[in-house]
Amino acid sequence: MRTDPNIPDPDGFYEALLDTHAGLSIEESHALNARLVLLLANQIGDAAVLRACLAAARASAGQNRDTASRDTQNRETAR
Amino acid sequence: MTGSSARVQTGGYDLPVYDYVRPPELAGGPRRRYPVVIVGGGLSGLTAACDLACRGIEAVLLDEDDTIGVRGASSRGICYAQKSLEIFDRLGIYQRIRDKGITWSVGKVVEGEEVLYSFDLAPGSASAQPPFINIQQFYVEWFLVDRIRELGRTDLRWKNRVTAVRQGAEHAVLSVETPDGAYEIEADWVVDATGLASPIRDGLGLPTHPERGEDRWCISDVRFRKPLPTERWTWVEAPFNENRAVWQHLMADGVWRIDYQMAPNADPAEVSRTEVAEARLRAHLGPEVEFEVVWVGPYSYRTHLMDDFRCGRVLFIGDAAHVMSPFGARGGNSGIQDADNLGWKLALVLRGEAPESLLDSFDAERRPAAAHNIKVTSRTGRFLAPRTEMERIIRKAVLDLSTEHPFARLLLNTGRMSAPFRYDASPLNTGAEGEAVPNVRLGEGVLSDLLRGEGAAFVALWAPDPAQPGLAAALQAVAERGWPVRVFACGAEAQPLPHLSGSGMGLLGLTPGTLLLVRPDQHLAARIRDADPAALEAALARALCRAPSDALARA
Ligand SMILES: Cc1cc2nc3c(=O)[nH]c(=O)nc-3n(C[C@H](O)[C@H](O)[C@H](O)COP(=O)(O)OP(=O)(O)OC[C@H]3O[C@@H](n4cnc5c(N)ncnc54)[C@H](O)[C@@H]3O)c2cc1C
Repeated sequence: MRTDPNIPDPDGFYEALLDTHAGLSIEESHALNARLVLLLANQIGDAAVLRACLAAARASAGQNRDTASRDTQNRETAR
Repeated sequence: MTGSSARVQTGGYDLPVYDYVRPPELAGGPRRRYPVVIVGGGLSGLTAACDLACRGIEAVLLDEDDTIGVRGASSRGICYAQKSLEIFDRLGIYQRIRDKGITWSVGKVVEGEEVLYSFDLAPGSASAQPPFINIQQFYVEWFLVDRIRELGRTDLRWKNRVTAVRQGAEHAVLSVETPDGAYEIEADWVVDATGLASPIRDGLGLPTHPERGEDRWCISDVRFRKPLPTERWTWVEAPFNENRAVWQHLMADGVWRIDYQMAPNADPAEVSRTEVAEARLRAHLGPEVEFEVVWVGPYSYRTHLMDDFRCGRVLFIGDAAHVMSPFGARGGNSGIQDADNLGWKLALVLRGEAPESLLDSFDAERRPAAAHNIKVTSRTGRFLAPRTEMERIIRKAVLDLSTEHPFARLLLNTGRMSAPFRYDASPLNTGAEGEAVPNVRLGEGVLSDLLRGEGAAFVALWAPDPAQPGLAAALQAVAERGWPVRVFACGAEAQPLPHLSGSGMGLLGLTPGTLLLVRPDQHLAARIRDADPAALEAALARALCRAPSDALARA
């Protein structure tokens, strides 16, 4: 699983992700996210990477904010 | 030999009833010890009896009932997989199954009028048998009984109920009840094929770790006239079943098996009431179609798995050892394959050609197969009955994407059809082999023809290497030294070996110099490149749990 920056134009992507959900109810957004996960998983197509992503996503659930914001700062300085 | 004097008419079927005969032990005869006593005359026990009879092994089969199937026209299993059909070919009942049953290979997942996903198992199949035949379970059992009687080596005892088994180091003693009273019978080996509620297993105190599924289903077996293809159709969210799942499949005699998923808390008595079942069928088939209900049966799933399929002198096959939910038709098919796996091992042990430790490999191979089947069927169960709101959301995403995107169709899981298990971790293998070899066409016949006959023999398929002219005689000598193997020259001729040609050869990947060692159950024990007699003997020794130097002195 790669964790180094790989998304071109991060802010542009983030905006596009939010726009994709614009105007949807929370139920519709959950459904959209589920479809998105499946579509993206098929782009990855590598069992080991998929498992690592599932584990990483699960591990972050409920983790405190400090770690998350520190990561963001690190990424800022790296750029 | 017991005859069948009567018939029962039920649900439009005309089924045999077998005569109870006072057992010799209750007719003044001595208490005898038999090499094998099989308990239970369902799919698994009858397959075991038929397999042993084909190998020339005498056995007693005890069944508490006096007919095939479950009384009342219910067929539990309907789909018989290629591997089972190959076994039935070797046992001599395949033709009857094919003539009576419905051969199919196409399955579809349907949404409304639209096909979301379809598969065809026929292309890529190398076997002389089709991917699947649908037929009522009791017909298969009936054909097995007929064949067992024809072979004349099995003492079939109807209305003989086993109440207990006790065992010592050398043999086991079974307590049996009959209409004429109780008696005891001794056996070198007991095969427990009494199904889900095995009294033998429970009497020995062996746990099964059962789990009950919450999901409820209701089967309707029904005759109707409406032109439909002989395909397996499944719905995940059928509009005519309150957006729950449905399976629809044809079996013999023009009877369709339609299986409806019920609401989670449905009352089994209510959902199977005639009017309720008929209303469901009416909604499904439309207002014009005439139908006749053959059988309605509600059920829920359970799984269980024994820790060890062998306990001393007792070997557990079929539902006695493992139970899985019926998705993909894995239950009965794996019981048939248990019997197939055990038969040759028992035969070789009884004939003194292999040590008793060979029987431990039955557990080493069939328990992982059962665990795998339980995993596969549980995954289908989870797809069909989402446990949480998020599981439902993810399933909905799969369904929504499936209409447009091919990749998502592979995530639709309405049952993964039964396929033979690869014994890749088996102690009998040389190398990581263990896969089932398809019943390819060879010479005038098929591979399974070479596996017929008394006892149990391996088949060595060798593609001669022209550079080594002396090898054929040396390989032939291995068989002559008493190893249970028949060696064939494939493709090119090589005297003195019998020669085989045929379209199947290419499918087996036999390049010159290579030898495939096929077990009596048609799984692959070894693939030996640059074969020589020493390598063949080593592979045979391993597959028989014998020492390599142990070229046996048995004529
Ligand atoms: C709804 C449903 C659909 C299914 N569909 C399929 C399918 O399509 N394909 C498939 O392969 N499988 C299917 N199965 C599974 C299949 O029916 C079983 O796995 C199979 O019947 C198991 O065979 P068995 O011989 O191990 O046990 P059983 O069929 O249960 O046979 C046990 C036998 O033992 C006898 N017996 C019991 N106790 C005693 C005793 N104390 N003494 C003497 N005899 C005794 C009984 O009379 C019976 O004959 C389905 C099951 C269900 C419920």
